[in-house]
Amino acid sequence: MSATFVSTSYLGTALLPTIAQTQSSLTNLEVESSTGQYADLGLQLGDQSGYELSLKNQNDLLQTLTTGNGLVTMNLTASQDALNSILTEAQNAVSSLTTWSASGNAADATLQNLGVNALQSLIATTNTTSNGQYVFGGVNSSVAPMADYFSSTPSAAKTAIDSAFQTAFGCLPTDAAASTITAAQMQSFLSGSFAAQFSGSNWASNWSSASSTNTSNQIAPGETIETSTNANQTGFQQLAEGYAMLSEFGDSQLSSAAQQTVASAASSLITKGLSSITATEAGVGASLQRVTEANSSMSSQMTILQTEIGDLDDVNAQAVATQLNTLSTQLQTAYELTAQLQKLSLAQYLPVS
Amino acid sequence: MSLSAAFNIVNSAFLSNAAQSAVISSNISNAGTPGYAREIANVVTNSYGGSDVASVTREANSALLEQVNASTSQAASEQALANGLAKLAQTVSDSATSSSASGSTENGNSPSAMLANLQDALTTYEDSPSDASAGQAVVTAASNLAASLNSGSAAVQQVREQADSDMASSVSTINSLLDQFSQVDATIVSGLATGANVSAAEDTRDTLLTQLSQQIGISTTTSANGSTSIYTDSGVTLFQDTPRTVSFTPTATLVAGASGNAVTVDGVPITGPSAPMAIQSGALAGLANLRDTVAPQYQAQLDQIAGGLINAFGESDQSTTTTGLPSLPGLFTTPGASGLPTAADTTGLAASIEVNPAVDPSQGGDVSLLQDGGVNGSNYVYNTTGAAGYTGRIQEMIGAITATQLFDPSAGLGSSDSLTDYANASVSWLQSQNQQASNQVDYQNSVVSQATAALSNATGVSLDAEMTNMLNIENSYTTTAKLLTTVDDMFTALMNAV
Repeated sequence: MSATFVSTSYLGTALLPTIAQTQSSLTNLEVESSTGQYADLGLQLGDQSGYELSLKNQNDLLQTLTTGNGLVTMNLTASQDALNSILTEAQNAVSSLTTWSASGNAADATLQNLGVNALQSLIATTNTTSNGQYVFGGVNSSVAPMADYFSSTPSAAKTAIDSAFQTAFGCLPTDAAASTITAAQMQSFLSGSFAAQFSGSNWASNWSSASSTNTSNQIAPGETIETSTNANQTGFQQLAEGYAMLSEFGDSQLSSAAQQTVASAASSLITKGLSSITATEAGVGASLQRVTEANSSMSSQMTILQTEIGDLDDVNAQAVATQLNTLSTQLQTAYELTAQLQKLSLAQYLPVS
Repeated sequence: MSLSAAFNIVNSAFLSNAAQSAVISSNISNAGTPGYAREIANVVTNSYGGSDVASVTREANSALLEQVNASTSQAASEQALANGLAKLAQTVSDSATSSSASGSTENGNSPSAMLANLQDALTTYEDSPSDASAGQAVVTAASNLAASLNSGSAAVQQVREQADSDMASSVSTINSLLDQFSQVDATIVSGLATGANVSAAEDTRDTLLTQLSQQIGISTTTSANGSTSIYTDSGVTLFQDTPRTVSFTPTATLVAGASGNAVTVDGVPITGPSAPMAIQSGALAGLANLRDTVAPQYQAQLDQIAGGLINAFGESDQSTTTTGLPSLPGLFTTPGASGLPTAADTTGLAASIEVNPAVDPSQGGDVSLLQDGGVNGSNYVYNTTGAAGYTGRIQEMIGAITATQLFDPSAGLGSSDSLTDYANASVSWLQSQNQQASNQVDYQNSVVSQATAALSNATGVSLDAEMTNMLNIENSYTTTAKLLTTVDDMFTALMNAV
């Protein structure tokens, strides 16, 4: 008897838990069908929450790095363009020098103008900025890397060269006394005290404010590369030396032989500088290449991450739609059954006496 | 046999009909009363052949009742835990996210998401180290991270304090129920001794037991005189002839590391780690577990993250002239900190961690100290040349976020991990606790409703059955009345014949 006995209070309330549960599932499903994600991610994922969060965080980091790489690319491209223009200038200088040597001209303004223009252009190009930062400054990116050689108050570099010449020969190149300097003397001056102006502490104090430490940036997780070059590279020194020779001694009182020595020394320096700058440019190009590769690898990583995040977060839209239908049918049935059960009472069928 | 004997039988039939009707009426009127056990009139043949209602039995089922009470206790315990965990989980929820390709940073407010934002801000800062606005973005991200830890810690404290005050009200409910139980039990004992109907008192007793099991897991035994003794599920006596005193002193403020008081019965603690016989179920057990174990563990994890942060961003001695200066807090610090915290001593750091005022422009600080170092003075300057493009210190800080460091294993998340992984693991731990508790609540609730259904079917009232009985009695009454008229007619005929 008791096995099949059903109490009236249970009969009336049997479907209540089902109805409540169905209703709460329905509200969740409504949220899920509108957002496409689980209604309560934390509750759904449980101990996978941290993993899901780490995927999102990784994705955000890659996105940030990609955005940051835009800036790195911009700086590197600016360096590359500047190096290109320095190279062109140097090539022009070399060919002009060859022409000049072939014509056998004595000291005249052509050589000096060549030197002055090339040096000015070198200084201007070296002081290129990108995004407010001097690209050849190394980490010291807030200060123009090369001082102006031709400033109205004689620059430190100019003064130092003049004083070196004075020390060596007792006169200035523009003095008439300079005509007595022999080619051999000139050669020894150029490779001695003149060359010393363009290296070591003289270069650092008179010519360049750049830091020899290049800026470095993280371009991908765990991948940090040098993202700039600096004006303390040998190429810059050689070019500056070659151009300065021409600008200082091009239009001077030097003898024709000494002049020829200057021209050929300059030509050789500029040629060396050319190959050195070419190497530097190749380095910048390689960095650019690495940034591009990092970007494309991060982009494919992000695609994978987003797919994985989607797998964790996203609900199956079709499954949700089907579940919504099933649940609403179930809820209707529960309502109908409750109403039917309420009618099922013996009292309804007893004759009213 | 005589006609007068027939009269007596008819009379007893009327009386028995009336008594059965009374029982049926009582059953019908209580069909919807929770805890009401239906009554059955036991009809017996009396000495002169009529029928008497000898007794009224209450259709109780103590085994099923015990099951209802036990499952109610379990459900209440899980519910208390789940409520607390749901509140804590809100501090790390990230349900508002979309996994769009825009690289959104809307990953919620968990320390883990805020740490990732800080890492992103530092990475951007690294690309333009001389840009003060990028530095400001780092400070903002750092402030958000500190705020996330502060609010997480505050949420833990609030949950623990709430649990503590809920325990106080649970204890006062238990004491009041035990008092009521004491009166009902006395009524039953004296009623049984005098043979009175104690069904109503027994209904009340069962209802009180179910209410009590909501608060605390119990088991009961009934002695020969009908008195019921109540024990906690761990075996501590709550009621035996007299109610025992359940006492608890609430604690108003429960900061990290502070522990609340234990609930005691007659001086014996029944909650907390030191309790020899700790209760296993009931709201009280769930609340105590939340207050003493679960929430403090999450607090410890937050404190470990805060300690790890202060360490990761600490500055070491960079000077070549001095040696052996201690490392000191950098970007993150706590008010009045005199050094870096050790992993074993981080209690309360999550509540007090803040962005170092020395680098926060809104507090008169200097953002560039982040790029160059030197928050703690010139001996700690990393960028000694002051170069604008220097990124070494920023890269070191980015590296420190993902570098492996030591954590206190007592927080439950291992002893060695990177800060990001540790923060993620903490979110996983919390959400997994939350998920488990939520599943347990669903499960226990369905157990309760099944047990309740079984009990209701075993002891409840079926209106149809009562109605059928009513019809029987009605028929019996009609027949008895007919019998009475027949006997009366026979008497009349006899009298007329005389």
